[in-house]
Amino acid sequence: MSWEDLKQHVGEFLHGYFVSEYERKLREQFVDLNDLFMLQCFMELVGLPNPAAIYLLDVYPFFLEEFHTWHRRMGMDRSPIGSMPCC
Amino acid sequence: MAPAHGDGSIAHRQHALLLKRILFFGGKGGVGKTTCASAVALAASREGKRVLLVSTDPAHSTSDIFQMPFAAEEQEICPRLYGLEIDAQLEARHYIDNAKAGIARMFSHAVAKEAERQIELASAMPGVEEVALFDRIGDLIVNRFDAYDLLIFDTAPTGHTLRLLRMPELVMTWMTALSKRRRALLSLNQEIDQVRLAPEAINPEDDPILRTLEARREKLEQVRARLMQHNFTGFVLVLIPERLPIEETSRAVEVLRESNVNVCGVVVNRLLPADLDGEFYRSRRRQEQVYVDEIKERFGSYPLSWVPQLPSDVYGLESLERVSSLLVRESGSPK
Repeated sequence: MSWEDLKQHVGEFLHGYFVSEYERKLREQFVDLNDLFMLQCFMELVGLPNPAAIYLLDVYPFFLEEFHTWHRRMGMDRSPIGSMPCC
Repeated sequence: MAPAHGDGSIAHRQHALLLKRILFFGGKGGVGKTTCASAVALAASREGKRVLLVSTDPAHSTSDIFQMPFAAEEQEICPRLYGLEIDAQLEARHYIDNAKAGIARMFSHAVAKEAERQIELASAMPGVEEVALFDRIGDLIVNRFDAYDLLIFDTAPTGHTLRLLRMPELVMTWMTALSKRRRALLSLNQEIDQVRLAPEAINPEDDPILRTLEARREKLEQVRARLMQHNFTGFVLVLIPERLPIEETSRAVEVLRESNVNVCGVVVNRLLPADLDGEFYRSRRRQEQVYVDEIKERFGSYPLSWVPQLPSDVYGLESLERVSSLLVRESGSPK
């Protein structure tokens, strides 16, 4: 392997390392923000009143997928509301 | 349009009441909200205005006063006077069905069926009827505004109504927070896509959740803006000269001021007639005078109107006309 090749590989490795590190941070942040957002949408689940609950009826179906990942991450194996069909 | 025939200052201010475009009548249960709302509606229609009288009170006494059933759709009660009765339960049903229909249009059958269950569950929650009722009122305020000269809402007893008027503020704050969060999420997502050099980054404005939230918020904003337009929207508080109604009115005034809703009149209903004799009546009137003075002192900064007790119940057009003329024309301040 020539010196030029080595320099390129190391460069790419470092670039990849830092970018993936950055991406990981962003993803962590995303997950946190998303949890907060889901909590605000499904506050009834933790026993808090949600003033906009009925206005959220329109958006519930868009949530089906996200809801599943969310309740798993919140430590609930199964969907906490029977009517959310994920599991 | 005929001018008011009033000669006193109170009659003049009452006329100003008729110049409004949206009026809400509120007060403690049983003080005569419905009677006053109906009377003002009748007076306005007699002056040549197209009036829509909306009953939102579950007691539905409007039908009794006009001796004619009010339907869920607008219908002419007398010349130029249209009536409509909002059935909150029915509205809630409509609202839920609409949401379901929207879902059925957008999603596969399997998803729609599952989502339907979620919606059925949500529809059993407390507050749904309130929201549906508010939605209908908002719809009338925004979409039927141009069809009429005056919209009159005969509301349920005070507490309920005040909550209703404060709702847009509350829900809007919530919706704003939600869409802000959603936006932050989406832009973060976009950033991740960029870092990963993903070929097709999703534009946040195309997000269906964000779009739905924003559309809702805009609608609420419109209603809120109309409610707070002091020059054409007003709240009329009805009370009788007694302790509890006075206190409740005072609280209502406070809340309305906080919510920036204009109080454009206070109607003092069921005053004892002046021409009665006998120890019993004199004693009652002495007591009433105390309350009347208090009302003048506490609510004097709002246009006050006084309606004496009538010899018989207000029932049917004829007796309503009497109240109507008392409310809108007569400047009869007691004592």
